[in-house]
Amino acid sequence: MIGGLKTMLPLAWRNLWRNPRRTGITLIVVAIGMWSVLFFNAFMIAWAQSSKETTLQLLLGSGQIHAEGYMDDPSIDALMHPPDQDLASALDAPAVADWTTRVVIPGVIQSEYKTLPTTIVGVDPKAEARISSIPGKIAEGRYLNSSDDDSVVLGLHMAERLKTGLGRRVILMSQNTEGGMSEQSFDVVGVYDADKATEDLYVFTGRAASQQFLGLEGEIAQVVFVLKEEIALEDTVAALAAAAPALDVRGWKDLNLFLASMDSYMGVFIHVWLGIVFALMAIGIVNTQLMAVFERTQEFGLLRALGMKPRRVLVMVTIENALLIGVGVLLGMVLAAVTIWSVRDGIDFSAFARAMEMVQTGEIIYLDYEMDAFLLFPGLIWLLGILVALWPAIRASRCSPVEAMRRET
Amino acid sequence: MDPIVACRGLSKTFGKGELAVHALRDVDLDILPGDIATLAGPSGSGKTTLLNMIGALDKPTSGEVSVDGQPLGGLSRSQLSELRLSKIGFVFQSYNLIPVLSARENIEFVLQLQGVSAAERHDRAMEAIKEVGLSGMEDRRPGKMSGGQQQRVAVARALVSRPTIVLADEPTANLDSRNALELVDLMGNLNREHGTTFLIGTHDGRVIEHSMRHIEMVDGRIDSDARGST
Repeated sequence: MIGGLKTMLPLAWRNLWRNPRRTGITLIVVAIGMWSVLFFNAFMIAWAQSSKETTLQLLLGSGQIHAEGYMDDPSIDALMHPPDQDLASALDAPAVADWTTRVVIPGVIQSEYKTLPTTIVGVDPKAEARISSIPGKIAEGRYLNSSDDDSVVLGLHMAERLKTGLGRRVILMSQNTEGGMSEQSFDVVGVYDADKATEDLYVFTGRAASQQFLGLEGEIAQVVFVLKEEIALEDTVAALAAAAPALDVRGWKDLNLFLASMDSYMGVFIHVWLGIVFALMAIGIVNTQLMAVFERTQEFGLLRALGMKPRRVLVMVTIENALLIGVGVLLGMVLAAVTIWSVRDGIDFSAFARAMEMVQTGEIIYLDYEMDAFLLFPGLIWLLGILVALWPAIRASRCSPVEAMRRET
Repeated sequence: MDPIVACRGLSKTFGKGELAVHALRDVDLDILPGDIATLAGPSGSGKTTLLNMIGALDKPTSGEVSVDGQPLGGLSRSQLSELRLSKIGFVFQSYNLIPVLSARENIEFVLQLQGVSAAERHDRAMEAIKEVGLSGMEDRRPGKMSGGQQQRVAVARALVSRPTIVLADEPTANLDSRNALELVDLMGNLNREHGTTFLIGTHDGRVIEHSMRHIEMVDGRIDSDARGST
């Protein structure tokens, strides 16, 4: 068998180059297909990862804890006390990188020109800076100084809509604990630049300041936590739920269903893409190899006349196909590796990030070599390529030896 | 002397009904060891069809062919391949060499199929090259050789496996007079020196002149079978 391969390999390799143009076209088809699968896989994974990280870092965190009912009706009647000792201990677990508490209450913001609905977010600025990307997105002015800071930070788009800005005052209104409306004037000290949906929705003030404004006695709306490793999510959620059975503990997948479905469908998307690319490649491979077999009918007839068994003709043509597709796959791998290396400093996605705010894409996408994909997809394409090329190979093996003689007369 | 090839009541019909073409009609033929026989006749007389039947390339509609005492009827495709590999050498009109292989590699190819070791393959191929007068040209590919040289390689390839019989179909048709004569001489020498049996389908008077037996076919039948001396 090995001896047979030793003699067939050089013959197969030389046969490939009998028609350099056809071999070149097939190589290009396979290489581009392989490149597109590997590059787009790396890109889609990087994009999904960037999108997820951007969303989680904005406000969502790895997970949140609320009072029961808050998620259905996030009102002042569905608040909770700050974490007790048991919950605080669970939140201080090694898997949790950081956590903080927030007051998050629907309200209204009013300028001299306009009144808009909003969500008032009372934060501890120091802790928030470790958990959220908002403090780092200040476009004008400053972020909040402390939990007692009774000024506000607005989104850029909201500030434009309210026709207000730095140094101006706005009025926040919200239902208080006594069923009435609280109303207070706040200085605008900062404007943040995030996506429009976030800018239009959230206005930030100090946590203690918001509690005072709403007449709360230390109650909060949520605990938000960030994990060191994504893999610890389910275990951490379970541990927190066990530490606070009366509260509603959810990981990000249960808080943002769109993001969760995007994350899980990414794998499906990659495989659908792989399927499409492979189908196109298969058509190219089968077409060119059938042409090659047709052109060489007389030669296969000769080989059969000389005493080559049909199975051996099949093996010989299959070796040619395996070499051809293998070289194409290798070329595609090299091309993909070089392309990914060439964008190692990141792809500027800012133009698209603005257009695709719904999925919170990061402005720079960093591609990485997905080693699993570099092993799995080339192997898969090579094997499937050989499989579809069996059809022309079988046709070659069925060439009648009499053809070689008949064409002589 | 037992014949190397024995054909009994051999008929071959292509197509059916009104379109049926009777290429061979009840042919009986024996080829003896050491024969150098020519098979001649006008186009459509059945020469190539008869060579195909004897070469185990095609199956008769009726009748039986035996090669070296082995009846071909009932053999599987794989067994027929084995038989061609071990007992029959072919020389074609258009040489039919494998273009990507050198002269030596083309000759060795048949030995590779037989599973002969690399060293022995090399020695036997070089010996065959010497025998057909192509020493020094062993590394040339067919595209770099003249028609006559290619046909010599084809003869060497047919002989290197030490077949029971060499079947040649119009081997001189694509050669000029000088190369055709040289090829005829070569086959005559191989026949005399090694006792190689040749059955040659040809129109070429020079080939017929040098054969020891001449078979004439007309309309799928053997019209005459005359034995002379080369």
